[in-house]
Amino acid sequence: MAGLQGRAGGEQTVDPGTSVIRVEGVRKRYGSVVAVDGISFEVARGEIFGLLGPNGAGKTTTVEMLEGLRVPDEGRLHVLGIDAVRSSAALKPRIGVALQTPSLYPRLTVDEVVGLFASFYETSRPPDEVIAVLGLGERRHALTKDLSGGQKQRLSVALALVNDPEIVFLDEPTTGMDPAARRSLWDLVKRLRGDGRTILLTTHYMEEAEELCDRVAIMDHGRILEMGTVDELVSRHFHERTVFFDTIAGVPDDALAALPGVARLRHEDGGHTLLYTADVGGTIAGLLALTEVLGDEPGDLGIRRPSLEDVFLELTGRVLRD
Amino acid sequence: MDRQMRRLWTLTVANTKSYVRDRATVFWTLVFPLVFVVLFGSIFSGVGGGKTSIGWVDLDGTTVSAELAASPAVAGAFTLTTGTQDEMLQAMRDGKVRAVVVVPHGFGSAVVAVRAGQAPAAPLDIALYTDPSATQTAAAITGIVGAAVAGFNQAMSGLPPVLRVNAKTLQSEGITATAYLVPGILAMALMQLGLFGAIPLVEQRQNLILKRLSATPLRRWTFVSANLAMRVAVALVQAGVLIVVAGVLFGITVVGSWALLAFLVLLGAMTFVSLGYVVASFAPTEDSASQIVSILQFPLMFLSGIFFAIDAMPGWLQAVARLTPLTYLGDALRQVMVGGVPFAPLPVDIAVLGALTVVFFGVSARYFRWQ
Repeated sequence: MAGLQGRAGGEQTVDPGTSVIRVEGVRKRYGSVVAVDGISFEVARGEIFGLLGPNGAGKTTTVEMLEGLRVPDEGRLHVLGIDAVRSSAALKPRIGVALQTPSLYPRLTVDEVVGLFASFYETSRPPDEVIAVLGLGERRHALTKDLSGGQKQRLSVALALVNDPEIVFLDEPTTGMDPAARRSLWDLVKRLRGDGRTILLTTHYMEEAEELCDRVAIMDHGRILEMGTVDELVSRHFHERTVFFDTIAGVPDDALAALPGVARLRHEDGGHTLLYTADVGGTIAGLLALTEVLGDEPGDLGIRRPSLEDVFLELTGRVLRD
Repeated sequence: MDRQMRRLWTLTVANTKSYVRDRATVFWTLVFPLVFVVLFGSIFSGVGGGKTSIGWVDLDGTTVSAELAASPAVAGAFTLTTGTQDEMLQAMRDGKVRAVVVVPHGFGSAVVAVRAGQAPAAPLDIALYTDPSATQTAAAITGIVGAAVAGFNQAMSGLPPVLRVNAKTLQSEGITATAYLVPGILAMALMQLGLFGAIPLVEQRQNLILKRLSATPLRRWTFVSANLAMRVAVALVQAGVLIVVAGVLFGITVVGSWALLAFLVLLGAMTFVSLGYVVASFAPTEDSASQIVSILQFPLMFLSGIFFAIDAMPGWLQAVARLTPLTYLGDALRQVMVGGVPFAPLPVDIAVLGALTVVFFGVSARYFRWQ
């Protein structure tokens, strides 16, 4: 596996200047289910690092071990140079946590919950500021049980920021948000990185990972399959670009695969056929010629760069969407 | 330390707000016991309304003493039950009469002598037994008997008083039904408060609030202390309100030490809050917690002797009552608030409650899950 550093058993000291999260050979099982199966990775200061994968891939378990909420069966986790398992008390003041499910006192107001959490820390940002940053100003006197799903999610992120943390852990932060709210959260996360914070987030949204993450680790069945920047991951697996068009009945796959430059093809659920090609011009010309013979022409014809979705499919043989 | 205190304070305030905004719980823990007191108190104090029944022991046996018994000041205020002193004191212990008046031997001849113009050597004592736990009743009876005696003395104006009231106290077993109930209801209220505390705790675990708190520097003992502090504060308010209401409506006053009463309220709150923790340790969901609480509360309530004297129960039920923690809290509160005959000596009650609290906390410390 490319990109893995820090072998288990190595006595490397963690340099807080560059590496703020270091996971080495971590395993965690629940009964007979192996949730995390020997993963290792590092995150540098100021990075937005994404754990990408389907539900049950082990993302949440990994994050919760880093947060000191779960104890690994094997391996080591260091956050900010602190052993996240043995010294989690020293770590807690310096990290911000948003759990996958917003966990809020239902009968307290937004103001009260933020103030309560602020009181747990030696130093905290002014609650008003945190509320304003998350755009909850108008709902500040509302009980949290009366908030919409997206507002709860934002409040949960707000609580992760009250202590002005060096590292923010966001577990599926945009689940349940509408597209506009998702956009504004992405902007916020980018601003957090701009302030010199490190962000580790999990997501099963490809576009979220592509939009936000400096580096991504693709997880499935408790393992990290690939790790790197989005560009690296894509170019590692695809030298081609993708030509897509509405699937035409009567055109055999053999004929498509034989077009110039085509390395492989697949049919998407949405009714598209995708041709991965090293020769976009040749492929399209061939495709048009082929369909013309049939008295048809391809609808919705286009070219795109392969995405993380393609990488995931390539790695697992499955589509990531729910 | 200061920081810890601030966390404790803010968390206690947050808990209190959460509690107050949960209308159903407020009803069951605060309002319901009050409704109980008002309802039952009214029903029972209405029984036999009218003249108070007192025991009348006439050691003199003359027409003069009969004249006193028949005087409007006495006969108009009381229903008299006559008998020997032993019989009457027993009747009072059993709660059949509220007070006992003993007219001394020699009363008649002394009055006759005074009427003949001879000054009495010394006033004769009329003994008046009242129950100190039924303060208002005792005060009323003392007042009426005192007025009757004063009126009798005045009839012999110009002469030294013939009669003098010698007030004595007798602890009555048969404290009034209301006086019996009020401490029991306070005990019940404390139990409700503690048991119902399991529900928000399970709710907080289910909502992952406990897990979220684990990711902050908040310490677990701070969390538990804040939880306890809120419950104990509500317990004290609850006890205060109940005592005031019982005092104003039914004239029940606290006979024992207020400090001891406050201690018992705290101890009782701790016992049942810790029992609530045990429930919270084993209930997987909020629904199951509220089911367990409702399944527990009724037997605990009705098999505990807080509503009926345990002696009145059949033998096997008495054995169950002996195992019910509420029995001991009700008994302890009753002893300190209104007196009456104890089920167990007070130190035993306190020891049982203390031991249960330790056991409950131990069990929940072992089995409580934060996630």
